[in-house]
Amino acid sequence: MKEADEFHAILKDPVSYGRKMKEQGRKIVGYFCSYTPEEIIYAAGAHPFRIFASGENIHFADAHFQSYCCSLVRGALEGALAGNLDFLDGAVFPHTCDSIQRLSDIWRMNVKGPFHADIVLPVKLDTESARSYMIDVLRKFRKDLASHLRVEITDDMLKNAIGTFNTIRRSLKRLYELKAENPGIISGRDVYAIVKASMMMDRDHLTEALPAVIGELEKKKGNAELYAGKRIVLAGGICNHPDIYRIIEDAGAVVVWDDFCTGSRYFEESVKDNADPMAAIAGRYIERPVCPAKHAGIFTRGENLLKIAKEKDARGVVFLFLKFCDPHAFDYPYMKEFLDREGIPSMMLEVEDQLPSEGQLRTRFETFVDML
Amino acid sequence: MITAGIDIGSITTKAAVMAEGKIRGTKVVFTGYNAEQAGTKVYEELLAELGMEKSDVGRIVSTGYGRNSVKFMDKAMTEIICHGAGAHYLNPRARSVIDIGGQDSKAIVLDEKGKVKNFAMNDKCAAGTGRFLEVMARALEVDLDGFGTLSLRAGDPSRISSLCTVFAESEVISLISKGENRENIIAGIHESIAARIAAMANRLRIAPLVVMTGGVAKNIGVVKALERKIGMAVEVSEYAQVNGAIGAAFLAAGLK
Repeated sequence: MKEADEFHAILKDPVSYGRKMKEQGRKIVGYFCSYTPEEIIYAAGAHPFRIFASGENIHFADAHFQSYCCSLVRGALEGALAGNLDFLDGAVFPHTCDSIQRLSDIWRMNVKGPFHADIVLPVKLDTESARSYMIDVLRKFRKDLASHLRVEITDDMLKNAIGTFNTIRRSLKRLYELKAENPGIISGRDVYAIVKASMMMDRDHLTEALPAVIGELEKKKGNAELYAGKRIVLAGGICNHPDIYRIIEDAGAVVVWDDFCTGSRYFEESVKDNADPMAAIAGRYIERPVCPAKHAGIFTRGENLLKIAKEKDARGVVFLFLKFCDPHAFDYPYMKEFLDREGIPSMMLEVEDQLPSEGQLRTRFETFVDML
Repeated sequence: MITAGIDIGSITTKAAVMAEGKIRGTKVVFTGYNAEQAGTKVYEELLAELGMEKSDVGRIVSTGYGRNSVKFMDKAMTEIICHGAGAHYLNPRARSVIDIGGQDSKAIVLDEKGKVKNFAMNDKCAAGTGRFLEVMARALEVDLDGFGTLSLRAGDPSRISSLCTVFAESEVISLISKGENRENIIAGIHESIAARIAAMANRLRIAPLVVMTGGVAKNIGVVKALERKIGMAVEVSEYAQVNGAIGAAFLAAGLK
């Protein structure tokens, strides 16, 4: 759809987009992973800009990493060392997996941005002490960022930011719902581009661009093709592969939901109305579905995936993992077992920044879809 | 009804013709550069050998990596589905299929009707594929057809530890220069392929009866090494190399 064009354009060349914002005098704070409290960055008057792998061949980053680091970490550092991220006024590293923590150290010593923040989040999220600890950690981030940018971040500014991000999250969720209810209404590739570019786009513009997309879809939903293929759900960490959606659709299936850091985990749960905005932001992270680098109960991730598959009436699940992502790999066997027990077929695909040869991918997906 | 299956693989292209559920003939040619040409050629030549006309054939299913390059098929299906169907047709007791082809290898678990229940595919590198064997045969100056029987005469199989085909080739070259005999080196190469395949098969929890298909199934050395590694008997039919084409012809008969 043509409303998705500007999202595709940003994803195609995020560096130019970031540089253009910088030229307009904006402060830009780069970040990794959906545990970054974007509300605080936005409240400080800065622009939160999510960093992904550059997609370039690796020349610089390999001098700093062992061979077992994932392509996200490798590709992101490559982009920074190649000078592509010179528009950033800072970078934020939430404490998640080992590789991201070490990336933070390497970044601090080699990229040397003007502002560098580690947000040392709790790992276990299901205790009372985790909640108060989380609030403290976020407060520290608020204080550090405000002092670096020489601004004051008031509670009212934070509440305004929470309002903006809740609106964005609601819109993205509505986009997913429309797709799940009428899979033929919009291509998987468009949905992918919209949700990912939302993590980079100017958020004030985004609050207008997303309703425009949704408005078009609401108009179309009555006459859309009801059947677009066998319904499947994707699960994993980062998806950096728009072509996957086309290959899945060619194989006769359609993605109706996901459990991705670059998908539903980004927009699930709103920040509640609360007298203390910091407690409210922390509360969302505690209630939201977790990623495998966090703990909220022994089986919560498996139960959440099963719930998604059932609610969205999915016939199969495809796990899409970045190679060397051990948090996801460790959770995989039990999550697969959860699906097996319910008779939901699944397939696991390990990829790097670039997809394996398309012929073999097609063979896998066509066979899997035939099994469903 | 007469049906045909055409399996266009990375190295060879296979065709099978069936009539009323019986195999009438099969044929193998090299794929070469042009997959469409190979598919057309093997099909036309097989029909000529069988004294049939194209109009005699009711339905055609194509498979293999080049399955969409021919245009005269009624349906294209993946080689995983077709190998499952072919193995089931040839032996209804088959519950697992190990297919080692030219550019990848697959383990397939079947239900009692020959439908794919689960599968795994090694498409990351050439180790554990027919191409690996070809590279080694060149380094050893041995005809690939002699590989299997030569390896059975090995007294003490060499250890090939590299998983990468290119590094494994240099390992083989160092073994040659050390004066290791061919039989032992070839047996070591087979052990290394079998170890790769067994790891994939065990993760999939394959169950008996295990059938091996694809061109590499013709190599008795790999089959024996695989049996030892998975601890199960491995059956190889005389149609192992054309199993995917047979599966395609079999599935063509059931097309609606």
